[in-house]
Amino acid sequence: MNLFKISVITICVCRAAECLSQQTVDSVLQLKMVEVTAPRIDNFSSGNKKQTLDSTLLSNYSINNLADVLASQSQIFVKSYGLGSLATTSFRGAGANHTALLWNGFNIQSPMNGLVDMALVPSFFFNNIQLQYGGAGALWGTGAVGGTIYMNNIGLFNKGLSVFANTSAGSFGDNQQQLGFELSKKRFISSIKIFNHGAKNNFPFINTAQFGSPEQRQSNAQLNQYGFLQENYFKITTRQLLTARLWYQYSDRNIPPSMTENTSIAYQKDQSYRATAEWKRTGYKLASIIRTAYFQDNLWYNDSSVNLNDKSKTRVFITEAENRFSITKYDLVNIGVNNTYSKALSDDYIKNPAQNRTALFANYKIHTKNNKWEAVMSARQEMVYTKPVPFTSSIGIVGNIFRYFQLNVNAARHYRLPTFNDLYWAQGGNPNLKPEQGWSEEVGLTYKQSHKKVMWGGNATLFNRNINDWIIWLPNTYGIWTPGNVLKVWSRGLEYKLNVTYEVKKLKVQLSGLYNYVLSTNQASTTPNDPSVGKQLIYVPVQNCQGNIVISYKDVSFMYTQVYTGYRYTTSDNTQYLNPYTIGNINVSTIVSFNSFKIKVYAQLNNIWQEKYQVMAYYAMPQFNYQFGLLLNYNKPNKINTNN
Amino acid sequence: MKTTQFISINAFALIIAFASCKKDTPVVQASSTPALTNGVFVINQGPFQSGTGTISFYNRSNSQVTTDVFQNANNGYVLGNIAQSMAFYNGKGYIVVNNAEKVVVVNGNTLVELATITNLTQPRYFLGINSGKGYISQWNASGAGCIKVINLTTSAIINTIPTGAGAENMLLSGNSVYVACSGGDSNDSVVTVIDATADSVLKNITVGANPGWIQEDANGKIWVLCAGKWNSSYSSLITPGSLVRINPANNTVELSLPFASTTSQPSVLVTNSSKNMLYYIYNGEVYSQSITSSSLNSTAVINRSFYGLGIDPTNNYFYGADAGNYTSNGKVIRYNASGGIVDSFAVGVIPQNFCFK
Repeated sequence: MNLFKISVITICVCRAAECLSQQTVDSVLQLKMVEVTAPRIDNFSSGNKKQTLDSTLLSNYSINNLADVLASQSQIFVKSYGLGSLATTSFRGAGANHTALLWNGFNIQSPMNGLVDMALVPSFFFNNIQLQYGGAGALWGTGAVGGTIYMNNIGLFNKGLSVFANTSAGSFGDNQQQLGFELSKKRFISSIKIFNHGAKNNFPFINTAQFGSPEQRQSNAQLNQYGFLQENYFKITTRQLLTARLWYQYSDRNIPPSMTENTSIAYQKDQSYRATAEWKRTGYKLASIIRTAYFQDNLWYNDSSVNLNDKSKTRVFITEAENRFSITKYDLVNIGVNNTYSKALSDDYIKNPAQNRTALFANYKIHTKNNKWEAVMSARQEMVYTKPVPFTSSIGIVGNIFRYFQLNVNAARHYRLPTFNDLYWAQGGNPNLKPEQGWSEEVGLTYKQSHKKVMWGGNATLFNRNINDWIIWLPNTYGIWTPGNVLKVWSRGLEYKLNVTYEVKKLKVQLSGLYNYVLSTNQASTTPNDPSVGKQLIYVPVQNCQGNIVISYKDVSFMYTQVYTGYRYTTSDNTQYLNPYTIGNINVSTIVSFNSFKIKVYAQLNNIWQEKYQVMAYYAMPQFNYQFGLLLNYNKPNKINTNN
Repeated sequence: MKTTQFISINAFALIIAFASCKKDTPVVQASSTPALTNGVFVINQGPFQSGTGTISFYNRSNSQVTTDVFQNANNGYVLGNIAQSMAFYNGKGYIVVNNAEKVVVVNGNTLVELATITNLTQPRYFLGINSGKGYISQWNASGAGCIKVINLTTSAIINTIPTGAGAENMLLSGNSVYVACSGGDSNDSVVTVIDATADSVLKNITVGANPGWIQEDANGKIWVLCAGKWNSSYSSLITPGSLVRINPANNTVELSLPFASTTSQPSVLVTNSSKNMLYYIYNGEVYSQSITSSSLNSTAVINRSFYGLGIDPTNNYFYGADAGNYTSNGKVIRYNASGGIVDSFAVGVIPQNFCFK
């Protein structure tokens, strides 16, 4: 019987090997050195459940935003206000601002509200996306409460010249163009990816909130977005790598009315500049990483029907340095410092706020001689100006047991600092708010085995999480809405995954099923006999199931995804709720290759069962819709003896 | 490992996975629609952001409460985001929905929808003028306000009367309509007086800062409750609230009683059935005020605050709206005329206004 074992170290090494490929050094040495400068999510997040959306999977979603990808391929609940509209995430029943969104290690959550609009993140910009479930405050600091989304860009050297052009068209006036160019030499890489996306989003829907349930078309939902990602990688020496990236994006979206409103003339413009630079040095005794980032976000919301013209601007500067070394053959130490300076300009605040945070963090990883067990300990102490926030620590253990199984255990403290809106909003901002904080724990069991041409795997994870001092806005005794550290939220549940792969010659069939059971209840209140105590948080589905079928034969691929989202309550005493929905999507593509050219023709058929549903109460969602497109790829490898 | 063992482990795993996909249907409350006479309508704003307002009905004769009476009467059709107020006039009900920007006209006995008035901007209250027309106050854009004149037969908007900013509660006295101009999203300090025949502005009477509530007393005098004005950082009131009396004979302010607090704004002005006592919420309590007194009363009648307050003209009971945590069903607490607690009942999410029938 052809069985195979899994080993944590193998996974780590494989992942690390993707990150950099150095052909000049001896391979054993290379792996050790490379691993040392891999992102912290690879080296120091052991014990948490992780999921990687790899480049193959992402290539099926090249024209989609991150919200679309997560909604159909992860166990995260995506709260969407409609096609192309605001979309936020909820990990394991946590709130929208409890997701840390990291771009190559930099947190891009807004300092104003702690959110990132996932509908504004184009998934084709990234080589892979890793999802870390569970709290990880010691690794990522504020916001990493429910989970972390880690978007990676990876430079692969010596790949030659690559060019791609992608164009798509779809329902409701949707059209998108993408262009990419990359020059990858032995010592440097320079690349750019550009996109332009427009849509009318004037989909028809049955408006059950209006008298007589008329069929209407969504109005005022047009969007126009464009942006680029420019990356440069330069090997100063074989041991030193310099990286610089610039991500610019502009979005102009009209804000459609909810189903109970008649019209809307509101619109929102989002403009982001994100520039980062990183220097890495690997060595036999010490590896160092220094990285810095400047983010600027401009937001402009306009609703002339109420004379509202709201402009805000945020600036964030992040500098981080890490040093890694080993004390023995079996361990790896990481010591780092992070400084984040945030500033906001907005008329909505009492004053224009600024915040300077400095964090010291340390991570320690150790594994047994036979590599079967591994443990990671992390600690982080952050200060806001000179005021310390809760000391944060975590421990994770991964072990290979009973031949086919891998056990992972994690306990981590997490916290979330109050946002600028919570602290300084006029009127009601409360500068005396404490950070939200608590612990999360999980135990997971993964198994993997194969039998002839079939490979089976599965994962079951039990988790528990407490968030204390959860901030909500309520009127005070004078009737003024003000935020307070009110709720204590207890989340617990089970996540289950099963996958089967059958591969014979050029045929590959993959089946996978995901199931979530999440209870996320509030345990505290400021008022006696509050009926919301002990009840499920609003907009957190208790149950969620997904099924995926992928069939590929030679260069033809077919993917079917079905997602079931259970009841979601809309009132905190659980007296009102939204009905469950089931969405079925199909993705098909075929690739034709000749010489250095590849042409991919693809189509996405979404909501094929014509489900009428609402994710958020009274926000219309489209029924059947489609996209189809054409991707042209050209690659010219470097000549063998080329120097640069 | 034997093949059978291998299959059984995985089969077991599959069974667990799919067995756990059971339905978790929430418990549905059954409700039947009662006769909507002799009772109190409670207007619940509904969850902020993406919810719908609802109307609960309290039946005085048997103390029964029915929730969602509008939805039940209209095949599940909902009112929309932020139900603001409701008024009855000539056998019809007028439900003002603020954020959904409409006024739903209903049959006064059944609440079945008859017409919907749209093309409004942040509507607040409805006032019937005569059998032919009614007024709707609205905030409009920030810093503005107006009255939309409605033809009650066709439900069409037939005229627009500009007022001070944030037109709020209205009062018909003689042939004049007095509009408290609350400032809306900004500030104002006037009561706009309108000739109800000509639909034209007669005068803007300067009262205190941000007047929101208006009542007529037994002597025909008009009382206006002004909320006061915040400083730019919203930390204290640069102009505290005030209670102002207008003489409608000459449309001038004849009494102005300023409140002391620079942190608490007074809110909601109601009268008893004989209109010789006024009541309002201030500093976390409900206060009474005799219409003959020339200074503010310092003893409270109810020692707590409410999100909304009403007085039942049939028995002078206070109806206090408790919005709880603002994301779940609220309740209404009833007090007798001397402030003794009578009972309470559950209503919809964020109860605020009452309509006594």
